[in-house]
Amino acid sequence: MDFLVDLLRQLLPFDWLEPAFMRRALIGLVLIAPACATMGVQVVSFRMAFFSDAISHSAFTGVALGLILGLDPRLTMVAFGVLVGCGVLLFARQADLSTDTVIGVFFAAVVALGIVIVSARRGLGRYFEGVLFGDILTIGPADLWMVAGLALGIAVFQAVAFNRLMLLALNPPLAHSRGIKPALWEITYGVLLALLVMVTLRMVGLLLVTALLVVPAATGRNLARSASGLFWWASLVAGISSVAGLYLSYAWGSATGATVILISVLLFLASFGYKRVRRM
Amino acid sequence: MPEPAVIFENVTVELGGRVILDRLNGAVEAGVLTAVMGPNGAGKTTLLHAVLGLIPYRGRILFGPRRSEKRPRLGYVPQRLDLDRGSPITVRDFLAAVLTNRPLWLGIHRHTDLSAVAMLKHIGVQDVLQTPLGRLSGGETQRVLLAQALLARPEVLLLDEPAAAVDVAGEALFCDILDEVQSEMGITTLLVSHDLSVVTTHARNAICLNRELICSGPVAQVLTPDNLRRVFSPHIDIFGHHHIPSLPAKDEPDGFSG
Repeated sequence: MDFLVDLLRQLLPFDWLEPAFMRRALIGLVLIAPACATMGVQVVSFRMAFFSDAISHSAFTGVALGLILGLDPRLTMVAFGVLVGCGVLLFARQADLSTDTVIGVFFAAVVALGIVIVSARRGLGRYFEGVLFGDILTIGPADLWMVAGLALGIAVFQAVAFNRLMLLALNPPLAHSRGIKPALWEITYGVLLALLVMVTLRMVGLLLVTALLVVPAATGRNLARSASGLFWWASLVAGISSVAGLYLSYAWGSATGATVILISVLLFLASFGYKRVRRM
Repeated sequence: MPEPAVIFENVTVELGGRVILDRLNGAVEAGVLTAVMGPNGAGKTTLLHAVLGLIPYRGRILFGPRRSEKRPRLGYVPQRLDLDRGSPITVRDFLAAVLTNRPLWLGIHRHTDLSAVAMLKHIGVQDVLQTPLGRLSGGETQRVLLAQALLARPEVLLLDEPAAAVDVAGEALFCDILDEVQSEMGITTLLVSHDLSVVTTHARNAICLNRELICSGPVAQVLTPDNLRRVFSPHIDIFGHHHIPSLPAKDEPDGFSG
């Protein structure tokens, strides 16, 4: 990955990309933001924004558990998030309750557990600014490998699952009649989404991670005229937001994650206006 | 004895501790249209979901004269799709997703397009290929859903109140198309419907359910006033209709079924 970071210096000899951490941030964002956007296409179709919110809010507890157990909090955060995601999906399939209600219960449980642990063990609170706001600029070479692996995994998953998930979102019995196993694909998607949320959270923070999933996909819906268009528009919007947001955060001295999201929201508003004009 | 396409042996479905279908026995005749009738909550959709293998059940569902447990190719036409009007997914996307696993974002092969267009043309909606699903009328949606089911070249076609969201004329048109397709291809068809006139006009056989099997057999023999009262309610009034010769006229010479 160092090779790529160095290569970027040759290819893009701009002042703002002079520091290596800026180039690493650029690579990380350009890899993870389109991955989020493509998974966001299904977040919007399955109405799973609340699910991703609940997963991201479990980060507090995951970090706290890691610190208490003497384990790497970055790993426990990801593992706990995936565990919560599995819990929500399995419980929602068994319980006679709506998925929203199940997520609401899990959401309350993980946040309350995190607050109890943090309030009982004073001194843990200082770790949580990073969880809340994230910091893409501190991303290291090892993190980049993880992000690259995850982005590749999501690309492969989207190649295999895109059509199946679309049919599942449209009508589960219809999808089943075509040999698609609803439980298998929904749980696989949910676990991968939980993993993506926890990895992305380190870059943009728990308050904004759902935005990175939803906003580019929503923008894609405004611009696209087909399912394929939706996929590519969402990815493109995420990519443009990442590069523009990183540059502007450098120019303004603002938080990178928030600036990236702000640009994507502006693109969403522009796409909304475009859609209105197109219909007139 | 007609050849069976689907055989139910003591099929019981229990969901959340509640019995939805109770010890259902019977067979669906191969190559003809069989209607599944019953009031709301009678277990009609549950029966289709059991045939699809979507829900757990006790008992056995067997297929074909060899009584195989292996499901044949099934086509399924739901009542509706779960999407909002702003969704950009087009009819072309939908049918391509049904026909192939190649991800839509890598483009759609020409031969996939040709198959989709041929089927749409066959059922008279070739103009909607590029239309977003959310912009179709009720009748067009049902025909596109029928097209996707037929593209699977099904041996058994399952339709869950396919015309529930369309007007009377749209329903008649849909049923005519279904009749044509059915007689052309000879597909075993199970049609869930509330509408007596649809059943009497288009179905050869009927299965009447109210959580358990009330009656089944050829439409003319099964849809008697007594059976209909047992299925729907003892309090309903049944009026004669020229499509139902076995039903005696009650108050009006050419009334409606209710």
